[in-house]
Amino acid sequence: MPLKLLTQLSCRNLFRHKRRNLMLLSAIVVAVAGVVVLNSLLRGFQYDMQEAAVSNLTGHAKVLAPGYLDDPSIEKSFQLAKDWRPDVADDQLEGWAARIRIPAVIMSERETRGVQFVGVDPQRESISFLGSVAHRGEALQSAADRRVVIGESLAEQLDTDVGRRLVLITQGADGLNREAGFRIAGVYDADGENLEKIFVFTGIERLQALVDAEVVTEVSVKLVGNGAGESSIKDSLAAFFDDLDVLDWQELEPQAAAMFLFADAAMFIWFLIMMGALIFGLVNTLITAVMERIKELGMLRAVGMRPGAVVMQVVMESTLIMAVGVVLGILVGWLFILWLGEGIDLSRWAEGVEMAGMRSLLVPRLFMNDLVLVAGLSLFFGFVASLYPAWRAVKIKPLDALRR
Amino acid sequence: MADDVVVCRGVTRTYQDDAVPVLALQGVDFTVTKGEFVSLAGPSGSGKSTLLNVIGGLDRPDAGGIHVDGVHLNELSESELSDLRLSKMGFVFQAYNLIPVLSASENVEFILQLQGLPAAERAERAQAALDALGVGELAHRRPGELSGGQQQRVAVARAIVTEPVLLLADEPSANLDSNTTEELLALLRSLNETRGVTILAATHDPMVMSFAKRRVQLRDGMIAEDSARVAVA
Repeated sequence: MPLKLLTQLSCRNLFRHKRRNLMLLSAIVVAVAGVVVLNSLLRGFQYDMQEAAVSNLTGHAKVLAPGYLDDPSIEKSFQLAKDWRPDVADDQLEGWAARIRIPAVIMSERETRGVQFVGVDPQRESISFLGSVAHRGEALQSAADRRVVIGESLAEQLDTDVGRRLVLITQGADGLNREAGFRIAGVYDADGENLEKIFVFTGIERLQALVDAEVVTEVSVKLVGNGAGESSIKDSLAAFFDDLDVLDWQELEPQAAAMFLFADAAMFIWFLIMMGALIFGLVNTLITAVMERIKELGMLRAVGMRPGAVVMQVVMESTLIMAVGVVLGILVGWLFILWLGEGIDLSRWAEGVEMAGMRSLLVPRLFMNDLVLVAGLSLFFGFVASLYPAWRAVKIKPLDALRR
Repeated sequence: MADDVVVCRGVTRTYQDDAVPVLALQGVDFTVTKGEFVSLAGPSGSGKSTLLNVIGGLDRPDAGGIHVDGVHLNELSESELSDLRLSKMGFVFQAYNLIPVLSASENVEFILQLQGLPAAERAERAQAALDALGVGELAHRRPGELSGGQQQRVAVARAIVTEPVLLLADEPSANLDSNTTEELLALLRSLNETRGVTILAATHDPMVMSFAKRRVQLRDGMIAEDSARVAVA
């Protein structure tokens, strides 16, 4: 197959009808750039949702007592050795945290609410939203801190504020109710109102003292990045805690996991729609190009060009214009993403955004794998689009073509 | 015979013209030996172009057999016919049929590219062919920048650059003025005499016929007159 000749002919043929091919190229660039930008936004949405789910005191994997999810009480707790740490390489481990998380009733002077009372070691909570939220007042200082921090929304509901006292009632390890007063160290401002209404934090040692047991109800482990190696840490935890349940974030946050998969599917569907529309334009242009050159193609066949080489020429023209379009489209998409900068502020739609489990800032994420996939599939679609025009070209009988 | 470049035996070809069968060739027996310059003449519809096309493997006969340089065309597939045309035949078309996006030298060279020759040899042979036809200095011009006569010379250069066994020309003078036609025919005769290229030209131009050494007259799909037979007789 004379590849050099076919490349030369294909390249020059593309310049034969500059305006028409420029229009087609523009359509490819817009389609590819659109796919790249939308993919990056969907990836941003997807990983933001994953990050929110993982930061929601979940981690990439979590150890729980059997039955805790159905009945999250102090009875479903377990003991954790003081010197325990997960068997994960330091460069893969972002952090881990042991907690007591039990239901409680919280009372201010005016209101009463049901909450999740969580005993934490604040030094370890860099892996959850508690480590990054802004506090009015103070954050908890240590595992022995006897004060509480509550969310802004809960503070509003309880009509209370920093420095005031609250009473919490929960069940002790012996099954009897325990009641204690706590001063509010600070009020945190989380991304979601639900978080602010549900979680009340104190030092883990203070909560252990209240329930009268040196136990924990959960151990969360968070890995670096997007949690690659999640299954191996899950296996490792399951091997160590053989009488406990070990769940990953998808099992703990099934809705977020489903949305994560949906985003993957949405990206693919969007890509198919864009490329599907583009293919019709590409096929139409290529058929026109073949029909215009029918005599020339007939001559090439007459002087000895094999049918396969004619097919290759049409395929190459399609692939070449698609390749240039893909490169330019990715470049334009990348520039657009750069222009978006820190992300898109969705705070105007805060409620809806929160319902989707997202944060109020949508940060586009561009992955090399996605770009390779878009480029590869676009070229594949370009190839597919060229097959029918190529078939038409090869069906041309040299004699009929030369008689025209 | 070993010297026979073209052998046609009982070649018949029928076309359908609006469901009406048209007998373009009726059992034609025809032989061209190496080094001949043959003109196929006759009025429109006499079958001269059809005979040229079946000999060139561009069309297939309904009956009869055709051998070109000893190869039986009837037995070849489309790809094999392409290979045969590429290796053994040169074509000169009425409308030149140069590729407009390639320069004159590239138009000549691409046949050699199809044959898989190395770049240096291609360039050398293409330039030599263009020089031989007097258009060497126009090698870098594209067809749109050449006159009709110059384009036909480039087309002839493309046809002979592979040193074919057989050069087929279909109405080579149809788009040329008489001076250019005369120059072209002198060139073809020179190629025939100096290089021994076998030429078969379908034409109704008396000037082309006058330059050919052998004149074959077709009428109603049959050979009505053949100057070679007359000479033998």
